[in-house]
Amino acid sequence: MESNAGTTEPRSNLTASDGAQVTALESLHFTDEIHRLISAPVTDSSTSFMALLELPPPQAVELLHSSDSPKLLATSSPNVEDFKGSFHFPSNTGLIERDARFSGEANNSNGKRNSPEPKDLSANPEKAVKSEPAETESSQPLVSDPALEKRSIKRKDRENKVKGSTKKSKTAANESSEDAEKLPYVHVRARRGQATDSHSLAERARREKINARMKLLQELVPGCNKISGTALVLDEIINHAQSLQQQVEFLSMRLAAVNPRIDVNLDSILTSESGSLMDSNLPSLVMPVMWPEVQGNGHRQQYLHQWHVDALHQPVWGREEVCNNYITPENSLLTYDSSTNSETLHANQLKMEL
Amino acid sequence: MWTPCGMARMRPHSSLKQEFLKEWIKGLQRCSFPKKSILERKKAIKLSADIAMASARNGTTCWSRALISSAARDGSDNNHLVKQILGPESDRPAMENKAPAREASVCKKILKRSCRIRRRGRRKCGAAAAAPSSIAKHLVKKRRQILRSLIPGGEFMNEICLIEETLDYITSLRVQVDVMRSLATASVRGTE
Repeated sequence: MESNAGTTEPRSNLTASDGAQVTALESLHFTDEIHRLISAPVTDSSTSFMALLELPPPQAVELLHSSDSPKLLATSSPNVEDFKGSFHFPSNTGLIERDARFSGEANNSNGKRNSPEPKDLSANPEKAVKSEPAETESSQPLVSDPALEKRSIKRKDRENKVKGSTKKSKTAANESSEDAEKLPYVHVRARRGQATDSHSLAERARREKINARMKLLQELVPGCNKISGTALVLDEIINHAQSLQQQVEFLSMRLAAVNPRIDVNLDSILTSESGSLMDSNLPSLVMPVMWPEVQGNGHRQQYLHQWHVDALHQPVWGREEVCNNYITPENSLLTYDSSTNSETLHANQLKMEL
Repeated sequence: MWTPCGMARMRPHSSLKQEFLKEWIKGLQRCSFPKKSILERKKAIKLSADIAMASARNGTTCWSRALISSAARDGSDNNHLVKQILGPESDRPAMENKAPAREASVCKKILKRSCRIRRRGRRKCGAAAAAPSSIAKHLVKKRRQILRSLIPGGEFMNEICLIEETLDYITSLRVQVDVMRSLATASVRGTE
């Protein structure tokens, strides 16, 4: 029972002071966990992917593709290579600002580029994240920067398309009325031999937007990187979302089985949550209540033995409702990337069930 | 839906967890735990978790608003629970504002459905789609519809919005699962 004092939760900064608590250790552990979760400082690594996840997709598009630019350039997705020009798809101001900044950087960093669109730039996503406020100024050179990078585009064509796309951006804005685009115009370049009338331009811009976000989704959902084809990727995404929902259901069932009644002085906890450790506060704040019917609950007995592992590695569950392969919580998002095997395995299982 | 002011919305991951946990505990405390059945408890827990997740987004995303408004819709079974959980919070005005938007989206839905039916009829009359691209498009459309049904409020979004909402929704679900799982493991470990 006192093993929780040596808990292997890496996120926890609390010492093993709860071992000193004599009374009601079990519920104390439970509330300890809550406090740990609340007071855990930002120990998550500031990798690009983690920072990515907090951004809304429009911003994350930039960062994501910038962070993955080595991957992208290496794999050289066919879409990118087909482009003879560059695309700046219509989007909200965040994208455009980032685009301007990346356009400037693209000139310096990588000479060999097929398309200098934002997703190919290898800017440091950390820097990009932090220097967001600085980008408001750089929205001005947006017009001129693409001009520097184009290689195979004639000036006349570009100007024509710019003029043509002024209307297109408006129609695009009307199409996606929820997006609230605030751009005056949009840089959309047509490929060789493609129609340049208004509808196809707008549609192409829209398609580019959708593709960019699909790429983001692909990065997010583990195991989608190697899959090509929209339908399969969507399959994976659907499976992933469904599995997450099922996990929530199952976890809530588990928690309901435990039935804690937390009488916690929330106010003092929440006020002191800002980064500070709560070693000393714990005994005074918490009025733990032992929860009943824990041992007698047969529903949980089956899983007790499966959970006798350290928090770093959680085993595959025996199948009752959900069959999942869990990864340690604090690194879950990182390891979702690295442990694609386990996730695809789980996804395959889900597919069979479905 | 997606407000372009993204700079203000960036937050580190663990603070999202903390926020979710905060809201969740608040909600849990507010609803009086019905000690009758485990199912009711589970429902309460899950509901408060969902609402906590949605309110952590503060109405910036479509799915969060749809989640809260669908949970609080009059006549639903969980209405009393939801009212308890939300309590005197400021989510109420957000929900009420959604009502006219909901009507508009219902109209949109009806329109979409009628278009879909018309298109389906046309496709059936014509020859079977032999071109692989159209088959692929058909498959993709099917999957998009499934995705729409998964995400709360997904039927009202266009494709671009749908993907953005999916991104956000999956992130929030992950946070939810992480927090719940760590709580569950803590509780298990405590009873060893």
